Formats: sequence, C-alpha cells, structure tokens
Amino acid sequence: MRVPGFVIPILIVAALVGGYFLRLAFTQPTTSVTHVDTTGRMSVFIVEGLKCRGTASFFSSLYDSIPGIYGIETYATEHKAVFNYNPEMIGRDSIQAIMEAMIPFDDSTSAQVFKCISVE
Amino acid sequence: MTTVKNRYVRYSISVIILGLVTYLALGYGTRSFEAYCPFGGAESLWGLFTTGNFSCTLGPLNLSLMLTLIGLVVISKKSFCGWACPIGFLGELSGKMGGATWKKRPKVPSHINTWIKLLRYVVLAVALFFTYRTGELILRGYDPFFLIFSGFGHGSIGIISEIVLIMTAIGALIIPMFFCRYLCPLGAVFDPFSKLGIIKITRNDSTCTACGNCGDSCPHDIPVQTLRAVRHRDCTNCLECVDACPEKNTLQLRAGL
Repeated sequence: MRVPGFVIPILIVAALVGGYFLRLAFTQPTTSVTHVDTTGRMSVFIVEGLKCRGTASFFSSLYDSIPGIYGIETYATEHKAVFNYNPEMIGRDSIQAIMEAMIPFDDSTSAQVFKCISVE
Repeated sequence: MTTVKNRYVRYSISVIILGLVTYLALGYGTRSFEAYCPFGGAESLWGLFTTGNFSCTLGPLNLSLMLTLIGLVVISKKSFCGWACPIGFLGELSGKMGGATWKKRPKVPSHINTWIKLLRYVVLAVALFFTYRTGELILRGYDPFFLIFSGFGHGSIGIISEIVLIMTAIGALIIPMFFCRYLCPLGAVFDPFSKLGIIKITRNDSTCTACGNCGDSCPHDIPVQTLRAVRHRDCTNCLECVDACPEKNTLQLRAGL
C-alpha cells in the first residue's frame, strides 16, 4: 500500500506526544522519605538545584531531624519536592528557609545549593 | 519541486526540535533537556528493574519516549533519527558543509563501513554496563548531545570531552552522519526494530534506469538502486532518494511486511 510522505512527520509527532503523556504511567519519586506515617498538610516546592538522585537524597536529608516534617517525596526531573508536614509545628517559610540555607562544604567553603522557585 | 517540499518539511521539524532542546538547555521550561533524551530510557532500565528507581537525572519521560520511539521504528524505521534528532540534524548539516568543500568526497568502502558500524554496539554495551554498575551517566563526558547543549556541563571530562567533540565534528565534515553511523548508541538500540520497519522505500524495477542518483543522495550510503525494498537498518525514511530519483513513482514509500 502506497504511503504519502506527509505520514512520516505525523507519525513522529504522534510518537513524541504519545511519549510525553505515557510518562505518567511510569512517574515515581526520585526519593521518598517517611518520618511519621500520617497525613498532614501537603505542599509542593519547585526547587532549583534539585536535579538528580544525588541532590535529591541530599535535599531530603536536610529535613531528617526537623520536627513537624512527616515525609518528603522528590521528583528530580521536574525539580519538585512534595512535603507532608504538620503546619502547627513548621510553616512553609521555615521549610523554604532550611532548603535555602548556606551549605558548608569539606573544603571550608559554603554555598546556597537550593533555591525555591515557587510553592503550591 | 518535491525535493524542496520533503526536505523543507524535514528540516522544519528538525529546526523546531533543535529550538525546543536549546530552549530547555538555556534553563527555560520545567525539565532539563536531558529528561527528553530517549537513550536515557535504555540507561535507566537496569536501575528501574533492580532498585525500582531511575538513575541520576533520568526520569519517566526518558523511558516513555524510548518506548514510543521503538514503536515508531517498528512502523516507519528510524524516521526519528532523520526527521527529529538534533544530533542527526547537526550531523547532516555538517556533512553537507563538508560535501561542499570536497571535490569528490572520500567514500568508506562498504565492507569496512560494515565493520566500523559495529562500534556503536560497543558504545552501547560500554554505556549500559558502566551506567548500570555505577548508577551514574558515564556517557555524558563523551556524548555530543550532552556536551553541546550543556555547554560542557557537569559530567564532562575537560580536555577529553573537547577532543571527542572536535573529532566528532571533523568526522561529520568528512563522512555524512558520522556519529549516527558509527557511534550512536540509540541507533544501536533501534537497529533490530528497524529491520522490521513496516513503512519503507520500495523501488520499481521496470521503471528504474539504474542511474544511481538514489544511492548517491542517501546520507547513509545505502545502495538503494540495488534493492527492491529498503529494509536496511540505517534507513531513516528521509526521502532524499525519492526526491533524487528522476523517474516518477519509481521510488515510493509503501507499507508492507
């Protein structure tokens, strides 16, 4: 069966668009940490600097001993962190301040590694 | 007239994709440009099966794009490579620039060409082995896609990355589609599926004058004039051969097994 040339670009666009939406079937957090198995308030932070598995693990570790944080899920490819927390113990501003604090390094320098772009 | 139309459509799509990748690479958009690399899907498979997690910067989009593109390859061969891949597009432009400077472009003898093409399976094996072993994207430092769009970002390995990119660029000026032919690991992933390609170029023996224009115009040096149907794994359905054929309807895109 003869196929017109314009079918090829249509198939390519369909494959790319299909791939974009098929991602939803595979979406899972880069890291998932649960400190307390309960549901509090959920907030989504878009964070610059959250870009790979390593930075995501480090990011989560910043909240390991912070009271009021029930759990954190990170999605590195979307630069997204989902916090489950108790708003009576810690506010969104405090969560943001912790991630944006200067991080000391072994070579005695320090730098701001994470920057919050938006909060939902 | 058809020459202009097919190539213009193909180049237009390539330019749009190249523009989108550049836009993402400049930091706009919600995801890194790496999130859209289909080869990342292959790199993430082992980690996904063994630990349930994606490696390094990889995510679900890499995997889903690889899967839908494999589907595309089964239907219409490596059309993604010829119509949309930014590196394929840059390789083709470099080949044309190089071609303009050569009086007669040196041609790699076909039996040697076949052997050198095995290099891309070596690249694939090395990339997957070390990515699976370390959980890091070790190919970054040697990957033209990453080096160009990240501007030698995190993961590049200094002078070695620069040499790799320069050698690849020089190679592309001498041999069209140099990277795609010999080094692209995504092409190696697609190879077995490309053989199945349902939509392919077919040649009508009764009207063919064996002028050889089709084979000469093929960016992958496929001897189209000797084939009844182009089942070659490297064919990207770019339609350059169809456009180059002086005999109307001799080369046609047809669907069939």
